[in-house]
Amino acid sequence: MGRSIVWTVFQKEMRDLFRDQKTWIGTFFIPLVLVPFVFFLLGHSFSNVEEEARSHVPIAVQGNGELMEQLKAIPGISFPKTADPHAALQKGELRAIVTIPDGFDEQIARGGTAELKVEYDSGNQKSVYAREAIEEAVAAYSGKVIAKRLQQAGLSAQAIEPVHAVYATVAAEELPGGVLAGVLPLVLVVSLASGGVAVANDLIAGERERGTLESLLTAPIAASQLLTAKLLTVMVMSCASAAASLVSMALIMRFGPFSRAGLPIASLSPLSVLLILLTVLLLSAFFAGLELLLSTLSRSVKEGQTYMSGVLFLAMIPSYMLMPLHPADISLPYHVLPVFNGVALLKEVLHGMPDPAHALLGFGTAFLYVVAVISVSARLFRREGAALKP
Amino acid sequence: MIEVHQVSKRFGAFTALQDVSFRVEAGEVYGLLGENGAGKTTLMRLMATILRPTQGEIEIAGFSVTREPEAVRRRIGILFGGDVGLYSRLTARENIAYFGSLYGLEKTQIAAQIERLSRMFEMEPFLDRRVGSFSRGMRQKVAIARTLVHDPAVILLDEPTTGLDVSAANLFRRMIRMLQEEGKTILFSSHNMSEIDKLCRRIAVMHQGRLLFAGSVDALRQKYGVHDLDELFMTVVEGGGR
Repeated sequence: MGRSIVWTVFQKEMRDLFRDQKTWIGTFFIPLVLVPFVFFLLGHSFSNVEEEARSHVPIAVQGNGELMEQLKAIPGISFPKTADPHAALQKGELRAIVTIPDGFDEQIARGGTAELKVEYDSGNQKSVYAREAIEEAVAAYSGKVIAKRLQQAGLSAQAIEPVHAVYATVAAEELPGGVLAGVLPLVLVVSLASGGVAVANDLIAGERERGTLESLLTAPIAASQLLTAKLLTVMVMSCASAAASLVSMALIMRFGPFSRAGLPIASLSPLSVLLILLTVLLLSAFFAGLELLLSTLSRSVKEGQTYMSGVLFLAMIPSYMLMPLHPADISLPYHVLPVFNGVALLKEVLHGMPDPAHALLGFGTAFLYVVAVISVSARLFRREGAALKP
Repeated sequence: MIEVHQVSKRFGAFTALQDVSFRVEAGEVYGLLGENGAGKTTLMRLMATILRPTQGEIEIAGFSVTREPEAVRRRIGILFGGDVGLYSRLTARENIAYFGSLYGLEKTQIAAQIERLSRMFEMEPFLDRRVGSFSRGMRQKVAIARTLVHDPAVILLDEPTTGLDVSAANLFRRMIRMLQEEGKTILFSSHNMSEIDKLCRRIAVMHQGRLLFAGSVDALRQKYGVHDLDELFMTVVEGGGR
């Protein structure tokens, strides 16, 4: 009977939620459609600007020298005639002004260092691209001069490169640990916390405001059954939100403008997947319990919304604090503190180096926090008059 | 059927009910009359086991609200006025069925009850529409059907006609009479004396948490020698029940 009541309430909550267009918009449309669309739009805009900047590089050159030949080799370069180059640069008609001083070639020929002045507009992305193109041309020209000087001195190129270092990463090849293990826990933890906020607020504070909670508590069901069903509902919505954010991230990484790498979740071992799922489950239970507790405490939906913003901070602070740290640098207290323990464990797993002791400690403490937060929540929910409007 | 015995309820320093006693017989429609703040809703909530009395005892169908709350809840159906406590994104049928499931009814029993209640309250045309689009009267019908889905012996109606227009209030009174014919025990609270007079032979008059009178409307008229209902109510309140 108890289980069937929990299932009945859970089914009703899910049906009610999925008939609410706010659920579809907040949980699925925004992360799965809107966020990737904004990224694609952003990327499209960036690539358009870059293409335009590369294909058309109008600059002004004041003075003359051998460097001119190298500058003329820049793809898309042009030298339009302008009466006032500085005004044209500010208007964006020119991307840069190169000033080659008198005696430039002679200074180089004497073996000295000639000064070259390049003016550009750092606030204009196209001008920044022009600066980069000029930098490359200058570097190429400098390389030629250096080679010539070395030849004249009877030296080889190795003479100015006494050490040639080769750098190799030891990070797991399939998991680009640095970026992914930094960002993924943040996305997961924040979406687990945020995914349940509106639902939890509606399921207790909202129901109380609409008078449905009072009617519900006149039925012969235990408050704990009701709370269990509501907890499961919030957990499911939190996990759905986290899953939608993961898919969104995978779409952006696979098809987005900045990377074609994709989200290498498929390359995770079964043990890693299990550890991630357990962590997600415990975190979602913790956030759901906490959110229901706040919803029970708040006297209105509006008040609940204010309280809930604290939950988002609770998710963001550990994620951001641990983001730049390598798992080996995460000290023991972080494996015990709430939410920090989940983030730390996720980082270890995503770096391909889960520590069994840390996993046990993290799961154990996370379980205790879940029990504590749900117990307090249940106690508040069962208190006299909890269903009544204040 | 309902026995209220020297019940008091305090919220901190505030006394919401003070030493209230009365008895409602089986099959009776009993009126609980009082202005806003008289303590009617608090008393209903004590009967519904949502609140616990500070002192005294309430028994419903032989069960104590403090010692056997679940048994009491199985035997009562309660409808709070103002907010009728329906889920607006569910259909009328789903709302009623949901409460049927919470009372442990089988699917076939729920279906039969919905069939019976929808015929009784003429709800067939909108049974499968979502409640969010309903008029106040339609919502009230669904709410009372939900209250009756488990066929309770005792029905508690707290200001059920609040916000209803004249025709909806009339329809509601017809529904009460139908339930009375089915032998239900009904406790009906209102701040409207004429409404109570149309439905109830016996009443309890409450004011500021105290019971001023409990007995038949005729006895009340005789005691004060006043026939006009509103004037009668004011006489009782101003005289403090003396």
